Order: sequence, then structure tokens, then C-alpha cells
Amino acid sequence: MSGLDAIRHQVLWSRLTSIADEIATTLVRTAFSLVVRDNQDYACALYDARGEMLAQSTQCTPGQAGSTPSVVRDLLATYPPETLVEGDVLISNDPWIGAGHAPDVFIATPVFRRGTLVGFTCTCAHHADMGGRLGATDAREVYEEGLIIPVTKLFSADVENEPLVRLIRRNVRMADKVMGDIRAQMAANRVGAAGLVRMMDEFGLDSLEPVADRVSAHSEAAFRKAIARLPQGETRVEVFHELTDDAGDPIRIALALSVAEDRVRLDFEGTTPQVLKPINAVLNITRAYCVFPFIATLCPDLPMNAGAFRPVELSVPEGSIVNPTYPAPGMYRSLLSYFVVEAIMAALQQIAPDRTMAPSGTYPLWIQKFAGHDRDGRPFVTHYNAQGGQGAFRDRDGNTAVVFPGNIASTSTELFEHDGPFLVERRMLVADSGGPGRYRGGLGQETVLRSLSDAPVHAALSGGRLVEPATGMEGGQPGGKGRICVNDGPPFDKAGRVDLRKGDRVRLVQPGGGGFGDPTARAAEDIRHDLQEGYITPEGAKRDYGWTD
Amino acid sequence: MTKGLRLGCDVGGSFTDFLLYDPATGAIETHKVPTTPQAPEVGVLQGLAELAQAHPGLTGRLSSLIHGTTLVINAIIERKGAVTGLITNEGFRDVLETRREIRYDIYDIRQAFPRPFVPRHLRHEVPGRLGPDGAEIVPLDHDRLRAELAALTEAGVTSVAVCLLHSYANPDHEQQVARAAEGLGLDLSLSSDVLPEVQEFERFATTSLNAYVRPKVDQYLGALESGLTRAGYDRPLFLMQSGGGVIGAAAARKAPVRLAESGPVGGVLAAGKLGRAAGADTVLAFDMGGTTAKSCLITGGDLPMTRAYEVDRVHRFRRGSGTPLAVPTVDLIEIGAGGGSIARVDDLGLLRIGPESAASDPGPACFGRGGTRATVTDANLVLGYLDPAEFRAGGIVLDRQAAQDVIARDVGDPLGLDPLAAAAAIVAMVDESMSQAARMYAAEQGKDPARATMVAFGGGGPLHGAAVAAKLGNTRLLVPEAAGVFSALGFLMATPSYEVARSLPGRIDALDPCTLAREFDALAAEASAVVTAAAPGARLTRRRFAEMRYVGQGHQLRVALDGDLAPETMARAFSNAYLDAYGYTCDDLTPEIVTLRVLVDAEQESPGFTPGPVSGAETAPRPAWCARSNAMVPHRVLPFDAVTDLTGPALIGQPGTTILVPTGATARKAPQGWLDITLQEDQP
Repeated sequence: MSGLDAIRHQVLWSRLTSIADEIATTLVRTAFSLVVRDNQDYACALYDARGEMLAQSTQCTPGQAGSTPSVVRDLLATYPPETLVEGDVLISNDPWIGAGHAPDVFIATPVFRRGTLVGFTCTCAHHADMGGRLGATDAREVYEEGLIIPVTKLFSADVENEPLVRLIRRNVRMADKVMGDIRAQMAANRVGAAGLVRMMDEFGLDSLEPVADRVSAHSEAAFRKAIARLPQGETRVEVFHELTDDAGDPIRIALALSVAEDRVRLDFEGTTPQVLKPINAVLNITRAYCVFPFIATLCPDLPMNAGAFRPVELSVPEGSIVNPTYPAPGMYRSLLSYFVVEAIMAALQQIAPDRTMAPSGTYPLWIQKFAGHDRDGRPFVTHYNAQGGQGAFRDRDGNTAVVFPGNIASTSTELFEHDGPFLVERRMLVADSGGPGRYRGGLGQETVLRSLSDAPVHAALSGGRLVEPATGMEGGQPGGKGRICVNDGPPFDKAGRVDLRKGDRVRLVQPGGGGFGDPTARAAEDIRHDLQEGYITPEGAKRDYGWTD
Repeated sequence: MTKGLRLGCDVGGSFTDFLLYDPATGAIETHKVPTTPQAPEVGVLQGLAELAQAHPGLTGRLSSLIHGTTLVINAIIERKGAVTGLITNEGFRDVLETRREIRYDIYDIRQAFPRPFVPRHLRHEVPGRLGPDGAEIVPLDHDRLRAELAALTEAGVTSVAVCLLHSYANPDHEQQVARAAEGLGLDLSLSSDVLPEVQEFERFATTSLNAYVRPKVDQYLGALESGLTRAGYDRPLFLMQSGGGVIGAAAARKAPVRLAESGPVGGVLAAGKLGRAAGADTVLAFDMGGTTAKSCLITGGDLPMTRAYEVDRVHRFRRGSGTPLAVPTVDLIEIGAGGGSIARVDDLGLLRIGPESAASDPGPACFGRGGTRATVTDANLVLGYLDPAEFRAGGIVLDRQAAQDVIARDVGDPLGLDPLAAAAAIVAMVDESMSQAARMYAAEQGKDPARATMVAFGGGGPLHGAAVAAKLGNTRLLVPEAAGVFSALGFLMATPSYEVARSLPGRIDALDPCTLAREFDALAAEASAVVTAAAPGARLTRRRFAEMRYVGQGHQLRVALDGDLAPETMARAFSNAYLDAYGYTCDDLTPEIVTLRVLVDAEQESPGFTPGPVSGAETAPRPAWCARSNAMVPHRVLPFDAVTDLTGPALIGQPGTTILVPTGATARKAPQGWLDITLQEDQP
């Protein structure tokens, strides 16, 4: 390999990510779904003609990112490359091919240059609706969770698959928005396709396959090199979830983690079998949250492509809650999947304690869905997102009110009140909710929403840590618990649905993160600052930190 | 010297620069004094006094003084503003702190966010609430309000941001707060004045920044104005705004956050004007300096505007890591790629350029001032692009061997390249980063940079311009005369202008054209009053814009509403803009308006482009790197003034910069003085 060739290769490589980011930018700017455009719940990626992933967008949700390496190959299993023609567009939201629940719709556009298939651009976007029971927090089967589009052509040689479009429109709420987002995904893919062709022209490439092989080999080698610096060893951990399995026992994530040379192996033998609750996380999602902690702690700048997923080897029992089989429901998979990160962090604490962090109040994700009719009688579906506090690190406090490990933005109160008949009465940090420790967990928050609608509003309220708080690490203490209640009613013990009458108040408390290290070792100036800013109360300071100043 | 002279004055971190322009002759004179950071007006008045010594009676002959200042941005970056408090709705004191909750880097789990400019204990709440339509839901609690204002005063607060939910729809509650605060000696910034736009985090953050810097700016401009009066200057003092126009001092003192990004705007303005004069419809301004490169896409003479501008980023070039400052700001992209950007090979074995910079101190290794790391300037020297004589004039003896050594050590050896190839790699990488950033930025605006004409300026723009242009698919590149001081020229070209906005969300079929017209008229009156105060008697142009989208979308397009306000007309205007941006439309969906904007400009004659005298002569060819043949080849070397037309490879010298005309490209001097370069279609 000549030196100049290496530089040309690197220029090409960084161009690939840049093209994936152009796709993402176009998608966000044209999307209708609040979840895509405001909460940024999407992923975009580029592939060669075999379906090997070349690059993915810098902003994407880790969950969806975990399905990007395999999705195009899965599409090609139905439509082999030699059958594709210019003007074809493929679509699917099959949870087992994609990102584990129906709202995540994948659209892939084959890219042709001079009549030859050279690659694919693909976007995944979380749609405003995909039909099914709204907020089916008690679903027992995937059939209740919306329309599943198996791998299908949305366009064949520039001709729209009209029966499919009618089928979708007839099955979803707000069909205009859903179709608008599908068009936005296609337009974004076109932008990426043009970028790929332009790049191939500029660099005189006839095929992207050698490029794919090389970038993948490079990412894989860099990741392996980083893993090789971890202490070798094997450890087992169990993390229990506050939700229960079908027999009524707490859900268990059992993990055996081993680091041997430049390989990480994760074995989930002993994990609870899939449940008749919508929290099962398909393998793609589990893979995402297995790879995420290692990239995040070892090499956060790693360019993501097919090779970046190879060094972490998974063994996940089929039929378990982290690798369920059809037709297990999974709409609320993020109630469970984030705890995979907690299990890995717990294991890392034993073999590589400088890399780890305390459990987060941000597991699981809190998303509130509301549907009803506005004053003009038009149906609305809207979301309200607000999250808790991150777990503390060995050397610093956890962030307050942040999304982690997923990455979607919170909802603006003003936009939410424009979107539906609600009044947000408060949204405030909760004092003393950050787990005490030498380094404190991030604070949780409290949100109170009041319905102003004359007609009943269907609400699906979901969150967690309602029973078991985020624990601390190495002497750190638990963060504040989560809480969901309506008016003066009893607190929920799990996510649930409720119909709101006019004037009903929903109170949500997002949990705080766990603390790290002995609270009595916390620096006096940090305690003073927390007191001044009201992050802790004088009583909390005395109780949790032994503060007597 | 005649009357009607214009003086531009730019207070930078180290130097206060003056540019004196005589419209009658086109002559430009520069002057420089050290900046006096404690009281910047001292430096300004000192420089003015020195200029007046050289030109007796100067102050009486000036028609205007146009001032750009980094005071606002520095107060923010260095956190040296006022002790600031916040009055907000009960239950919402944490809006500034909880932000949007999204992480700006998905894989960086330890990322930090900027501290709010108002600490939590100075964020006080008052019961009272408006709905999204501006209707009162809960009246403001005046007893609590008085108590909270007293508590803030007690705590030593001197400036207060008043940020209430939905105040963009109805400023009444915020105005009640302002009345209650009268006589308390507090400096107030109301969010309904500073940024009457929906989305509380962005509005609250911008308003707190305004409150944070206002006392300081107020004091400074007051002192400057009285100093100028004492010096005999009785014409208006103009301030350069982030949005591209200039504004009178009185208006600037009310909304100082509008001055934050005034620096880079000058060059963009001048590039737009040059492009227009050269007959180009779409212009890509490309400014490369010592630490950063900036670019901006200007279509039909309109500067692109953004409300997504951020300051105080934790990671300077990471979007989302700063505090939003959502006032009208010219939408330009800044990346950490300049002459001083440091090249290194990272843990992954990849060549990275910047964003760390050796800046001017210690500077590149070849400057011999203690720089020990390989920079882009070192690479340019090794590749033969820089003229040592030019630097000698500035007191710097370039050390080619030092440059070659650090490049070999930091880049060549780790990558297995000889120093020449390593230097070429550094330049290729930095050109690639700049072109990628420009392309991404264009995508954000829904525009294709390939159709643009590039205008390159700044110390490094004319050298890297051809390569970046070729990567973007531009075939025409313009380099102005005096490319090194082009930004300052832009200051003098700026005209008084002001933009105001108000959120008025609604579907176009549900909005009454008469209501819309009334709202637009009110905005136009508000903006015109500000512009007229700055330019009494000037003719005004008023332009109406609406930020529009399809119902349910989240991002808006800025659409000029030059026609009537009937729903069909507005729908057509939106549809055309959407098609232009994204290549398709959704004709079954209804557009909606989010925000109305009115931009008022005063018409005013501004400096044109006049060629300097032809002088200088071609010197002996110099070997320099040719990216097409991957080898050193002889380049013609000549001063800018001596160029008529030529075919590359050639290196053309200007004070402070070198223009590279690559092999095969042709360059022709336009009669107005700029260089018009045509690149080949497949220019490497």
C-alpha cells in the first residue's frame, strides 16, 4: 500500500460519514414525526452492493444503530441484488429485521451508477404511528403493536406499490404524517445516493466493495487493539429488573463477560425467557447495547461500519427476553434493553473498574404518549419526553436530566402545549434525588401535566425505577425512585394506560442516578455548592453526607 | 481629502484595527493600535486621535463610524458578565439547566454541558401562566413578584432576564414584571423583546445571555459615545450585528446579543457583493485564517440566516455542546482548519488535522517561535506554496528544514510517507475537511454547493480555494484584491438594517390575511423605527419573510413573501422554496406558518471594487507541489498587480496571502480588480 493511497483511502473514508450525515440532515429537516425531527430518533447508513455497512450517521440512536449492520443483508435475502433495478425502493419494519418495534421503519434505496448496482443508502425513522393498540403497555403479542410490513418493495422501477400504500394508510393514525415521513426518508436516501455516485466519480471507483472491506478491517483492528488493553478476565453478574416474568419472579439479566486478548465475549445464558409483556428486546437491540458500552468507554471516536461490530461476540439464548422469537411483543423494549448496559457496567466494575459508572436513573427511557381529539375535532397523537439523572462516574458527578444510553431530545413544553390540549404545570429538578456518593448521581425531575381536553385523552404512561431505584457503586447510594400517578391515586408499579378526564393531573417523577464512592468522602466545596443551588436539601446533606456545617 | 469619509473600526482580542475609506477616490488606509481590554473605548479613541493627527480635521469629515466588537462574545466566553438573575413561571426554574436532554455525541458518555449563565439559586419563580395562544390562564402574583425581585436585589443581582412561557404570543405578563421592577435599579431583558419565538429553552437561554452582557455593553457604548462627542465626532455610531447589517448604538444597547458574531460577517458581506458584481447568483464565501476556516452560501445576494447559532461550546466545533443564541445570525460554518491547525496521527492510525491550533503563538514550527508541532502552514511551506520573502517583510524568517522535520516526525514516519508526501497528505486532508463541512452546511440549508462561485479570501483562502472548490464541483473561483483585509472592507459595505420576528403559529388556510398584514405592518414599523434612528432620511426596503413548513413538520424554511398574503399565494411561495430545497413537494398537505419576520434595510451607497495600480513583475518560477502529477513542478510566480491572464500552475502573491492557480486552470484579471479563475471540470 503506497502512502498516497493510504491518504486517498482516508479521504474517502471520512467522506462516507459525511454523506451519511447529509442523509440525516435532510431527514430531520423534512420529517413530520415529532419523534424524528424534534427527538432525533433515527439512524442513517451507507452500504456496498453486498449489503456490508460502510458508515452510519454521527447522530443516531444506539438502538437503531445496532440493527444497521445487518438490515440490508436481511432485505437482500428477499430481493437478491441481481433482481434489483434502478428506481426500486425497499421497506420493512419487521421488528426482527429492524429495531425491535413497529414504529421504526427502514427504507433502503439501491444506488446505481452507469447501470450497475453499487450500493445502498438506508434510513430508519421512528414514525408517529404504525397502527395497533395505542400505548399497548399490556400487549401480549406483537400483533397488538401495529402493522408489520415484511420486506417489500415500496417502489419498483419508479412505480409506487400502490396497494401497499393503501394498506399502510388504512392501518395507521395520521396517515398524512406517516406518508410524509416515508417520503422524507426516500428523499434523504436520494441525497445520499447522489453523494455516493459523486464520490465514486471523483475518486474513479467502480466498486465500493474494496472500500467497505478496508474501512471495516480498519475499524475492527482499532477496536480490537483497544480491547486488548483491557485487563483479561472473566466475570459473571446478574441484574434484576423491577418488572416480573410470566411466573411473577423478577426479570433477571444474567451475563458472563470475558475479555481474552482482543476479544470480548458476552454470554446471556440464564437470562429470563421472553415474556408476555411488550418489553422483549430483539437480538438487534441487544447487540446495540452490548457494543455501545465498549465503544463508549474504549474508543468513542471509532468510525462505525460492519467491522465495528465484530470484536464483541455474543451468545444470547434464543427465546430469552434479550433474543425473543416471533410473536413476542416489544413495543416498550427500552424499558428493558438499557439494563443490558447496567449489566455490562457491573461486570466491567469487577475487571476494569476505572472504566465503569454507577447505574443510571435514565434506564429505562420515559416516554408518555397521549391521543385524543383537539378542539376542532382533529385526532392528535403526541409524546412527552423527560428523563432522569445519569449514574455517577469514578471521578465526576452524573449528568442531570439527560438521555442515556439512548439519545433522543426531550419535548419542549411550549411545543407540547401547541400540539395537544395540555397544561404543563411544572417541570423541575427533584432535590436529593441524585444518589449520594463521593460523586453524586444526576438529579431526576418532576413533571406535572394537566389535561384541558373536554373529550377523554388516552394516555400510555411509561417509565421505571418505580420500585427499585438506581443503586450506587463502590459505596455510593441509590438515586431517587421514579413515580407515576394520576391525581391523588396510588402510584403505578409499572407502565400503564389511563383515560384522562378534563382537569386530571398526571404526575411523573423521573428517577435520579446512583452515586459513586463513599458519600462522606465528598468534597466539602461540592456539598456547599449542592446546598446553595438546591440540588440537595439541608436535611439531605445531614442525612446522606453527615454534613454539619 | 474630501468629505464623506467612512471609518471602520474592529476591536479584536489583541489589536484594534481601523480602515479609512474615501468613497471619492476608492482609497483605503489602515491603522492599528493595541486593544485596551479593561476599557476598549480607550484604544478606539486613541486610534482615532492618531488617525486625526495624520489627517487634520478628520472627525468632522467622517460621515460614519462603523464599529465591530468582540466585547459581547468575550464577556460570554470568559464568563465576565453581570451577576444575572432570572424571573420565570412557577415550576420552570430549571429550563436553562435541563436543556433538551440530548447528548451531542452518542458515544461520549462522560460529556459535559455548559453551565447556565444564571445559577440555580438566582432563578426565581412567580405564579402566573399564559397558554399557547397568549390567553391568561393564571394571573401574575404581584405579591410574590415583589418579594422575588427584592430577593434578587438582595442577592447582588444587577441584571435580570424575564422569561415566561408563551410570552412570544403575549408579552403582557413580562411587561407587568418590568413595571414592577421600575425603580429597583435592575437592568431588565424581556424574552418577548429579545426573542419573541416559540421554544422555551432557546428563548430563555438567549434572553439570559442578553441580560448577562447588557450592563457591560451599555457602559462601554455610553463611554465610547461621550468620548467620540468630546473628540468632535457628531455623526452616528454604527455597530455591526451578527445578522449582517449595522445598527445604531441606542438599539445595540438594548439587544447586545445581536452583536455577538459580528466579526466574520464582514467578509461574508463583501464576498456576496463581489459575487454579485461578478454576475454570480450563488456565491460560496470561503475564508481561511490562522485557526479556523469559515464558509457561507449566499444566494441571490441574500445572506442565509440561522437561529441555531450557539456560543460557549464545550467542544468548539460540536453542534449542541453550547448555549443557544437564537437571534438573527448569518448562517456560516466554522471549522477548526486554519494555517495553524496541528496535524497528527491518532490512535486509530488516522491522519487528523486540527481542531487544535498553534495559532500565532507559538505558531507553526517553520516560524521558529517555539512551535514544535506540524501545522498546515508547515506543509504549505514544504510544498513550495509560500514565499519566504513575503514573510520576511512581516519579520518572520521561514525555516523549511524545521517544517520538514516536524512533518516527518508527526506524520511521515507514523504513516510511512516521505516528508513531501506527508505534507501533501496534510493539505489533502485539510482541503477534504473543509469541503465536507461546506457540503454538510449546504445540505442543512437544502442547497447544492456545486452550482456556486467561490470567493476565497483570508490568509489561507486563496491558497486552498481551488482544491476545495474543485471538490465541491465549483468551476469558478474569484479572489479579491486585498484578500487579506477583505473582512474589514465588508464592515464598510454594511448598511443599516434590522430584523424583527414574532411567532404566530397557524395553518395558512386558517390565518386571516388581514391579521397577517397587520402583524407584518407592526413588525415593519418596529424595525423601521430602529433603522431610521440609525440612518435618518434614508430610503428603506422592507422585506417580509415567514418561517413555514408542512403542518406537522418540525423544521421551517425561510420563505420570502413578496406577493400578497392570500393562502394560495403563500402556499405557492412555500411550495417553490420546498421544491428548490428538497426536490419534491407534498401537495396533499397544508403549509403552516411558525414565525413572521421583517427585515428592513436602509439604502446607502457602499464602497465598490476599484482596481489598484498595475505594478510589479514576474519573478523566476518556483517548484511547488502539483496535486495532479503528485510531484513538484515549476510554478510561475508573480505579484497580483502584474497579472493579466495566465494558465496554471502559478503562484500569485498578495500582501498576506498567496493565490494558487493549479495546473490547467486559467486566471484572468477582471477590470474591477479581482482575479477570475476557471477550474477544469476534473481539476484534482
